[in-house]
Amino acid sequence: MTGVQKEKFIIPIGPQHPALKEPAHFEFTVDGEMVTSASVRFGYVHRGLEKGAENRNWAQALYLLERVCGICSHAHSTVYALGVERLAGVSAPPRAQAIRQILLELERIHSHMLWVGVAAHEAGFETLFMYSWRDRETVMDILESFTGNRVNYSANTLGGVKYDLGPQQSDSILRGLDSLEKRLHYYLKVVTNDESFLRRTRGLGTMTVEQADALGAIGPTARASGVTRDLRVDSPYLMYADFPIHVITDTAGDLQARFVVRIKELFESARNIRTAMEHLPEGELAVRFPRKVRAGEVVSRIEAPRGGLFYFIKSDGGENPVRVKVRTPSLRNFMSVLVGSVGRQLADVPMILSGIDPCFSCNDRAVIVRRDGVPATEFNPRKESASQSKS
Amino acid sequence: MNTEELLAQAVQLVGDRASAQSVPEPNRIDLAVEPGRLLECVQPLVEAHWGYLSAVTGLDHGPQDGHLEVLYHFCQKAAVLTLRVMLPREAPAVPSVCGLIPSATLFERELMEMFGITCEGTPDTRRLFLSDDWPAGVYPLRKDYIVPTQTKAPEEKGSQP
Repeated sequence: MTGVQKEKFIIPIGPQHPALKEPAHFEFTVDGEMVTSASVRFGYVHRGLEKGAENRNWAQALYLLERVCGICSHAHSTVYALGVERLAGVSAPPRAQAIRQILLELERIHSHMLWVGVAAHEAGFETLFMYSWRDRETVMDILESFTGNRVNYSANTLGGVKYDLGPQQSDSILRGLDSLEKRLHYYLKVVTNDESFLRRTRGLGTMTVEQADALGAIGPTARASGVTRDLRVDSPYLMYADFPIHVITDTAGDLQARFVVRIKELFESARNIRTAMEHLPEGELAVRFPRKVRAGEVVSRIEAPRGGLFYFIKSDGGENPVRVKVRTPSLRNFMSVLVGSVGRQLADVPMILSGIDPCFSCNDRAVIVRRDGVPATEFNPRKESASQSKS
Repeated sequence: MNTEELLAQAVQLVGDRASAQSVPEPNRIDLAVEPGRLLECVQPLVEAHWGYLSAVTGLDHGPQDGHLEVLYHFCQKAAVLTLRVMLPREAPAVPSVCGLIPSATLFERELMEMFGITCEGTPDTRRLFLSDDWPAGVYPLRKDYIVPTQTKAPEEKGSQP
């Protein structure tokens, strides 16, 4: 991976949208059209969130960490809240847990549909891109009517949730899910039957079950290769033990399988949301949360749309976290791109890259810098916390 | 296999190469490992396909304590096995695990730039997240690194371009 080999061409891809409209820099060494090695450089949207969390109190860090990702924001705030609540010995009431779970699954729907659109766009199938993004608005509207926000829902608070699920919201969610499912059947038909689309997906970026396992692939990327790795089943959190999901896997391991797995997971999410709403426990939405959290360390993991999200949180008994380590699923899955693109045509690389549904903002955390090496002035915890309390 | 059996299996695989054991949560076991014996501990886990390296966490215990710590989290289903390597803050170094787990290169690049911990024998020492013009020898996730704007009064910040 290091050094320049003689008479080999290095093709730089990025930082301007290498696949999705987010920045990362890849270097592919090619022999003719064939990729012989690959390396990656992130950091273009590095914002210093891990360090930033250490300078905030437990509640403020929740709002900060929700902003790690603009797509799976609820996953980040939930995994943090679950970890901190476990450290503090506080448990959110059952109704709050069910609402968190419903939101997580709604978020998975919008995330996967966003990906279907982007990946279809990479494959040159603009119609599917437009369709899936139009239909994704259904779930975005649901989320907005539920929480008032389209992306950073801010639904979690330490010790519970802020928003209750009333009969009106339930109706709109059920209606939305019904119309979405009709569209999902259509997508599934397209990605498994459309001949020109299959030529861009079938047999591409194939990972065998052994490779996926050895590379530590997670999420839909791993499940499309037949690795049954899903924290909702392996290590049930929230109400996933009461309202379980079925793990969707495929054995093909190629890009097409990743489409099929993600779309089938959407049916599973819709079913799970219906079950959770039907059996929504009664009771409080939140419990009181202490200002200080007792000393200790906790590993908190949940299944985000892109795979297992890993947080390591350490407390020294004070008001601030001592350390919050964020390992996003994309970072774990990037190795499958770097390994999976070797031996492939360069033209297939964007598709292989989109196949893992990479999320660069998630990956990039830590410090903002200007060209002179001085951290940017925008990074001002006091200013930020002041504006948060206003909103 | 349930979580307890998985953890018992992992502990057995590492065996007496680890110097201490603790159980911070029911689904977790932490094993303290000497830096020199890290690869010996990782190897049996990899060979037995016990889980996957989920994350590598760097921890700074602060200048008073004088230690950095590297945590290798292996996950299998709900079980989390953590190998903890304690290092001095002066010239901290761990052997690279990339020979056994090639995909760890991204984790090690992050660890090196954020904490200034040398991963001996790692294939790629370039920065992963920090920008190219980040000053050398400044490690932002160490406790003695203070984000400069934190210490300044708000009005001073307005004067910066």
